[in-house]
Amino acid sequence: MRRGAGIIFCRGMGEEMNKSYDIVLKTVASCLALVFLAVTTGCSEATKPTAVEPAVKRIAAGQQFSGFLKDYSALKPNPNLEGDVLTYVSTDAQKNLRSYLAIVIDPIEVYVATDADEGKISEAARKALTTYFDHALKNAVSDAFPVVETAGPLTLRLRAALVGVDVGGEVAAGDLPPDIKPFERALNIGKLGVEMELVDSETGERIAAVVDRTNLGAGAEVGAEQFSRLEKFAAAREAFDEWASRLRIFLDSAHELTGEDAARADKSYRPYGAESASK
Amino acid sequence: MKRTLLVMVSLLFGSGVCGSAEVSTFHAYVDSDLCARLMLGPVTPSRIECSQKTFKEGSNPVLVRLLDNTVFAVNKEKMVKDLVGRLAEVSGEAKVKSGTIKLQSVKPEEESSIPQGDPARLLLDVRTYRTKGSEATYEKVRHELAMMPYITTYDFISFSMVGNNVILSGWTVRETNRSEAYNRVKSIEAVEQVVNNIEVLPLGRTDMQIRAGARGRLQKLLSRYFWGSGSDIKIVVKNGNIILLGSVTKKEDSDIAYIQCSTVPFAFHVFNMLRVQEPAGKDKS
Repeated sequence: MRRGAGIIFCRGMGEEMNKSYDIVLKTVASCLALVFLAVTTGCSEATKPTAVEPAVKRIAAGQQFSGFLKDYSALKPNPNLEGDVLTYVSTDAQKNLRSYLAIVIDPIEVYVATDADEGKISEAARKALTTYFDHALKNAVSDAFPVVETAGPLTLRLRAALVGVDVGGEVAAGDLPPDIKPFERALNIGKLGVEMELVDSETGERIAAVVDRTNLGAGAEVGAEQFSRLEKFAAAREAFDEWASRLRIFLDSAHELTGEDAARADKSYRPYGAESASK
Repeated sequence: MKRTLLVMVSLLFGSGVCGSAEVSTFHAYVDSDLCARLMLGPVTPSRIECSQKTFKEGSNPVLVRLLDNTVFAVNKEKMVKDLVGRLAEVSGEAKVKSGTIKLQSVKPEEESSIPQGDPARLLLDVRTYRTKGSEATYEKVRHELAMMPYITTYDFISFSMVGNNVILSGWTVRETNRSEAYNRVKSIEAVEQVVNNIEVLPLGRTDMQIRAGARGRLQKLLSRYFWGSGSDIKIVVKNGNIILLGSVTKKEDSDIAYIQCSTVPFAFHVFNMLRVQEPAGKDKS
């Protein structure tokens, strides 16, 4: 009897214990789930690339540069590049352009001219410029610096801005093919230039910079989203391609082997091959 | 339903048309990826040893077409893994540009079964390689490849010569190096044909971490082999494996490099192919 009661008591106690154990387990599990959710949400927020499109900015009055780059003092004219181009390249033996293999391209920013009425620059027009320039940059650099999606070791971050966009004239629909919708107001890109910076994608340390103020001159405009396909805006397309191609020439010239480096590279290089195989 | 069927049929048709490559049958040497890209040339006992050893250590099996020394990565490694270091007659859809083959059949064979006079047989002969007459061309090719601007610590391009034909091999992380090497060599007057076996390596995040980790360690302890725009030691990283190439002046330095790279996080294996070269310029190994 006592034994039975004991068993019942124990069973009862066991059930109670199981119940409280279940409650504890459930509480711990829910806490863990919450922590897991918080951590994963936090992590995914932290690792998400900065996808926020930058807003249009304005060049401050009386300034020579837009302010997009943190420092302009080290920029110098580059004899390897035609046009009005200033460049900077790090000569640090540990961290220079040759220390990097890939590139991540940030969304391109747009700076309007000091006196431009930015209200008349539509989002579609801004996007047309940045999309084409992004495409031109990728085309120009990707075989030398493969373009990757995320920051990481041995990866550069390319920050670029189109500087000096202004409001142009009204675009007559009759000037364009019927299937292409013109912007309400064209973009005047006659005084447009570009400012670009290559930084270490992990530390943000500056490795190289280019300010290219070679512009198209008065009258150059972009009047439709698909401007790159229209002969009317061929000059604009060529200008974007030129800026991108000058960036590539700059990268190439920074990689060129000269002087002692060339001599050492030549001396150091011994192929493997049949010679080694036959030994 | 109809739409799904149509999509499937068009997909099948599309893949059949786009991915089509002619089925070819050829004599091949079953090699390891590492030796195929470093020791192109005659199939000597030392090469066979290299193939078998590095395959055991984790280098992928590949096929080297004897006709022209083109290296092919295979879709089914199982079909060739037991034949590493041997000759085989293979058939499949070969794509020269990408250096890949979709295998259909693999049949082991002996050298004697390749008919006399067959070009494939010629390439098995040690005497075919580096004839003295092409010494000047060899030096021109070497110099052109040494001066390539985008070659970094993480690329290694090698070559062999068969008469005045050049076989390029090695690994690079940049597409531009593959094409530039070809164009530079092709433009040398005496060079007749160029086979391009240079593999462009993918830039996976883990491999990038391994590259950075390996360079950091080596630069710290063996800084004299690194300079601003290049290095005597090359660090090729492929699928988690590190291949150390180039030369050092002391055996101890080679050992230090190996040990340091073995401690790089995420690295599976280190193949130490560093040559020890005395400062006077004579190879020891």
